[in-house]
Amino acid sequence: MQKGVEDKGKYNFRNNITIDWCPGCGDFGIVSAVTQALSNMNMDPDDVVAVSGIGCSGKTPHYLNIAGVHTLHGRAIPYAVGVKLSNPNLNVLVMGGDGDLLSIGAGHFVGEGRRNSGVKVILYNNSVYGLTKGQAAPTLPLGEKVKSLARPNIMGKINPITLAMASGYSFVARAFSSEIKQLSAIIERAIKHEGSAVIEVLQPCPTYNDVNTLDWYRQRVYKLEDDKSWNPVVNKKEEDEEKFDTGYRKSLEWGDHIPIGIFYENNTIPSYTNRLAGIVPDYLKYPPALQDVSDKDGYTIVDPIKTFEEKDIE
Amino acid sequence: MQETDINLLVGGPQGGGIDSAANMISMAFSLAGYNIYGIREFHSNIKGRHSYIHFRIMHERPKSLKYPVDIMVALDPDTLFEHMFDVAKGSKVVYDSAFNTFNLKNARMITSDTMTRIQDELAERNLTFDVKGVLDYFKSAGIDVIAIPFDKLINENVHDGPANRYYNTLGAGTTLALLGLDEDHADDGIKFAFKKKPKVIESNIKVIKAAYDYVKTSPIKVATLPTYPATPRMLLTGNDATALGKLMGGLRFQTYYPITPASDESTLLESHEEMKFLKNADEVVKKAGLVVVQCEDELSAINMANGAALTGTRSATATSGPGFSLMAEGIGYAGMTEIPVVITFYQRGGPSTGLPTRNGQADLLFALNTGHGEFPKMVISSGDMEECIYDGMKSLNYAQRYQMPVIHLIDKTLANTMDLVPEIDVKKVKIVKYNENTNHENFKRYSLDTENGISPYGVFGKDIFWMTGDEHDELGHVTEDSAMRDKMMEKRMQKLITADKEIPLEDKAVLYGDENADITYVTWGSQKSLLLDTISELKKQGISANLLYLRMFEPFPSEYVEKVLRKSHLIIDVESNMTGQAAKVIRMNTGVNIENFILKYNGRHITLDEVLRSTKNIMEKKTALEVLQEGS
Repeated sequence: MQKGVEDKGKYNFRNNITIDWCPGCGDFGIVSAVTQALSNMNMDPDDVVAVSGIGCSGKTPHYLNIAGVHTLHGRAIPYAVGVKLSNPNLNVLVMGGDGDLLSIGAGHFVGEGRRNSGVKVILYNNSVYGLTKGQAAPTLPLGEKVKSLARPNIMGKINPITLAMASGYSFVARAFSSEIKQLSAIIERAIKHEGSAVIEVLQPCPTYNDVNTLDWYRQRVYKLEDDKSWNPVVNKKEEDEEKFDTGYRKSLEWGDHIPIGIFYENNTIPSYTNRLAGIVPDYLKYPPALQDVSDKDGYTIVDPIKTFEEKDIE
Repeated sequence: MQETDINLLVGGPQGGGIDSAANMISMAFSLAGYNIYGIREFHSNIKGRHSYIHFRIMHERPKSLKYPVDIMVALDPDTLFEHMFDVAKGSKVVYDSAFNTFNLKNARMITSDTMTRIQDELAERNLTFDVKGVLDYFKSAGIDVIAIPFDKLINENVHDGPANRYYNTLGAGTTLALLGLDEDHADDGIKFAFKKKPKVIESNIKVIKAAYDYVKTSPIKVATLPTYPATPRMLLTGNDATALGKLMGGLRFQTYYPITPASDESTLLESHEEMKFLKNADEVVKKAGLVVVQCEDELSAINMANGAALTGTRSATATSGPGFSLMAEGIGYAGMTEIPVVITFYQRGGPSTGLPTRNGQADLLFALNTGHGEFPKMVISSGDMEECIYDGMKSLNYAQRYQMPVIHLIDKTLANTMDLVPEIDVKKVKIVKYNENTNHENFKRYSLDTENGISPYGVFGKDIFWMTGDEHDELGHVTEDSAMRDKMMEKRMQKLITADKEIPLEDKAVLYGDENADITYVTWGSQKSLLLDTISELKKQGISANLLYLRMFEPFPSEYVEKVLRKSHLIIDVESNMTGQAAKVIRMNTGVNIENFILKYNGRHITLDEVLRSTKNIMEKKTALEVLQEGS
């Protein structure tokens, strides 16, 4: 580890752990984009935490030179929120696969939209469960047959962008794992955004998805920002209806042309941490993680009688 | 003079102000210098179904409940039908005279099986299927029946809202008057019960006056109850006491998903996010607040609590059986990755949805065996208010000290018990913190350089390290190396051995009573205080009994339990489950096979009279298994 590095700009966010993803995996592009974004921001490595679930994507935190939690299948978001709400000073990144976040963890994905606690969700979308040998993920379209499926996909797909918008995320974007510069810029912008973000990353699985290949994506993706009139940012409440509507409609576009870029960014929705600050005194300055819980002799500082005054009989 | 010992039952429809009546009565008595002990029983329903509170009132602090009750107040006809046999010769029954013409078939809120049971009981005694039938039975059994014209008394005295709004106050007032408590104390009870609604105090005091005047002018003879100086106490339920203990123990992050009977703890904490501090606390330290998060489900609740612990925050969650089932995987993760987290587990009647609002102790083996694979976790249990408070503090201490999940078992009976707690000692339990990491460079979160299994604890924001539910190396990276696997398994499990060594015996198992007694009861949870009362009651009858009371199931005090039981004569296991789970744990850990059981699994709390009866049957060798059935 290189925590001693004085010049933060020179901090290496990638550690020396050997990556064991398949050659050609889209996950490599995500690791590059994340480390680039953190370096660009001169991020203090102590201030950022990576949280993942299970599957190939789940291994990501081990490859980054920051605190990392490789959690349970589907549960990356609850862990991330626990970290964020107990210490809102930390930047918390969630790295999860499409199966992890949209199938077994779908309840948390939706729940976090309502909370808007400020975690940044990077959703690795390759439409398959790679580590268990290529079953259909919830993002695989109906009727599609990737190579390890016994029969064409019998279930329909979830659109992560529309679901993220419907759930209430205030920053919703899509990127492509080979467009590292754009992805890195989106991650940086998402980190600077106060509320929670979803960044869907389209990526090939060279081993199990023989339909949505690198070339398949290359031929179809186009950048939203190439259209100079595209402006998904809501800075005033009255802009929301129109921008939400535009972003939402855009999210439905799929097939020969697949838009990547920011679909929706709403800066008018207060984050959960800010809402909490209105209830819990000094929450942002002294969040739970930074509080001491005992006096100098090691005893409780909580007054039981004053605390439950309404139950006191005198 | 015989000491005051009143058993009282107040029954009425859910949502009909039973809680206020209970508060009023308990407050009135506590301000008159008495102690109370009450348990609330209710259906899984918002409005209409039968609920009741069973109280015991004594000058000394009561620890158990007894049937038959001395006085029963019926705020609905259902109470008369449901509790026909909870009163006996010499008991008083107070009810609304409007119920006189009520027919059983109109009691829509009584479920069909209960209805059939009541009809059978009435038919067996040649009684009519109506309130008159029940009253005839009461009269024939020597029970005093006191009809009060509820509507008339209320309408003559208050003109603020519909009469039924005051039924609870009138019922409570009449009861207090009949028991001979002076009116001033009854008024004080009202003031307390409606502390949050000062506007209604005046009209309710008028209703109290109406009740007292009615009793005074009636031919009913009322003795005067002595009053005593009232000492300061707190009226707490098990939910309240545990919440308080956790707060005192440094809890700063609590997650939950709504579930009966656990969420009362979390919602109470939610209303106290702004904390109140002792005078001696540092000014900086005083700037603290609690965060309570209502999650999308229990999967989120446990894993979010785990997440919060990673920043050094003392965190916990609270749940009941169905929620705990969902938490199993997250608890395993906390065991594997050595996260200090507390799961307060309020047991209710299972399996599945079971009896959501009723008592049960059937989750002991589940708590012990939760999660797949072998990992360290602690399982502790509380049996009364003081234990809820101090175990609430200790549960967080244990989690921090041993870096593992701590499951704190509490049963529904205890969660819903109302008790007056005389004194809370803020210096009884010292706050224990995690083993802080001092080397922030090249930090080995799972350092094997430890004899007691406890590695330095890392905190996000200060330390860079990794965590995974996979087997891992000292840095926290995934490994499948066979030798590292063995070392890590052994390091983790070593912590349980350390905990067993460090924690004093009194926190694990306690023998109450004469060491050489003829009978040894074995129990855990809310039966603790009941069995302590049982022992004193038996002593009066010349029978010597003691109690081996279990507080910690993992690590289990095997050696001590075996030593006690090998010396015991007649061992009786008392539990609120069907299979004697604690007895199984004892046999598993010590080889001692307990052969006599008093068990109850109908979802209701065990009462003193039941245990005494069953003990006699076991002593006379009529049976080795007594299944208790009391309670509506």
